[in-house]
Amino acid sequence: MTCQEYQRQIVLSLYEELHEGERSGLETHLSECAGCRQAYEEHHDFCNTLAEDKSAWDFPSDLLVESRRALANDLDALEKRRSWWRIPTFSVVFTPMRMLESATLIALGLACGVYISNRQVSPSSAPAGFDAPVALSTVPQNGRVSNVRIVSADASTATVEFTGDVVQPLRFTGLLEDDTTRRLLFSAVQDSMNPGSRAQAVEVLARQSSEPPVKQVLIHALLNDQSLNVRLKAFEGLKPFAADEDVRTAFIQALMNDPNDGVRVAVVDALAPITKDEAEMASRIEAVTRNDDNTYVRLKGQGLMQMVGTQK
Amino acid sequence: MEAVLRRAEQAAYDTDEEKLLIEQAQNGNREAFEELVRKHDRDILRLAFHMLGNREEAREVFQETFLKAFRSLNRFRFESSFYTWIYRIATNVSLDHLRKRQTLREEISYESDTETNPDRPALKDTLAATTYYSNPERRLYGREIGERIQEALKTLSEKERLVFELRHYQGLRLRMIGEIMGSTEETAKNYLFRATQKLRAQLGKV
Repeated sequence: MTCQEYQRQIVLSLYEELHEGERSGLETHLSECAGCRQAYEEHHDFCNTLAEDKSAWDFPSDLLVESRRALANDLDALEKRRSWWRIPTFSVVFTPMRMLESATLIALGLACGVYISNRQVSPSSAPAGFDAPVALSTVPQNGRVSNVRIVSADASTATVEFTGDVVQPLRFTGLLEDDTTRRLLFSAVQDSMNPGSRAQAVEVLARQSSEPPVKQVLIHALLNDQSLNVRLKAFEGLKPFAADEDVRTAFIQALMNDPNDGVRVAVVDALAPITKDEAEMASRIEAVTRNDDNTYVRLKGQGLMQMVGTQK
Repeated sequence: MEAVLRRAEQAAYDTDEEKLLIEQAQNGNREAFEELVRKHDRDILRLAFHMLGNREEAREVFQETFLKAFRSLNRFRFESSFYTWIYRIATNVSLDHLRKRQTLREEISYESDTETNPDRPALKDTLAATTYYSNPERRLYGREIGERIQEALKTLSEKERLVFELRHYQGLRLRMIGEIMGSTEETAKNYLFRATQKLRAQLGKV
């Protein structure tokens, strides 16, 4: 190999990209060739200089929050546009026509079930005190019956007793302050299967976050929801009330426990303006952020202490 | 930085947990997809930010990358790691942006040749003004050496820049970089060598 070829190996060796044999070959050559040894030293210094600049290359911490939020909005919009049968997994197996056929069969089956239960279920025979079931004299035509269990079947009287669940499609329009609307929104926030629905519900509730029950739901979502999008939306709803004791406590908890840097950055930014005159609060935030993985959060915590002039 | 490199090395291999997440996401589970995004989004944003040099375009690349992944996740067949796959999308999107920017520069440069108003700022100055050197965080760490390196990086070809970025700043192995580029480890080695030679020539003894 020529010295020219060893130059290439010098670069690769500094990136630890040489195979064992190549490395020992290079080492032998370096021990014999002063020119290449000098080139190695120069490359080594050059790589060290580049390495010094690495820390300056991190992206601004708020850019991650901003990008994640924008992506979540895009995904929401994309999901809204997609009809559920067009989800790729389904589209291979289920064409709209097949879905229509299946739906017709299911509807027929349900209609038969409803017809049979209408004839045989006695309203008075529903068991009392069993998770507060409602005794039905009939099953709604558009109700979906599930978890059906036969409690008893009396051959002598030809009577069968069932328990189960009936789920009915729901369409409701109401004012935000109405109890039913609130109840439905609170249910949507707890829908563990659907983060999109939770995010929408939190967004709607955030318009009334000054009201204590709504605020509590948003605090719960901020501290417990698995979805980042939901937590960020809950945070946005609570942000105007950062000075309230309960919101402030929730923010501190989020600062301590939220796994996402974006949430912690947003929270510490929201706490900063209300902390400027409160030494105790600044000290608390500094203590919480002292060991944070995120540099921005740590610096912000220290900055608050300096601002209130309590840092020793 | 060491943490970044360690994470890059770990993330390069699909764990059982990640496989499960991918399968769930392929079945339309949005939360699983978001979990996958969270696992890789810092690396992708870092790549986009370094390659494009300004936050607006970096955010666009970030969004485009994950939206493309979301739309085509069903075509992911576990033939490469998810990490390689998502990086491949991100590098292609980043290169597209760089090319678009180049085209725009050429168009405006032609226009400014015929421009009679000497007060109008050149596009390159406008673009430079939006780089991360002009943002507060970058200014905080801003050092002369960083600016010189950035200038030197501009002299590299797209591929040289990409390989240097992925190896030097993102800590990926050249074998994986070859895969991401749809090429070989040997080709990636050549690009890395050429990139460092050019940078040394540009920077001299810094």
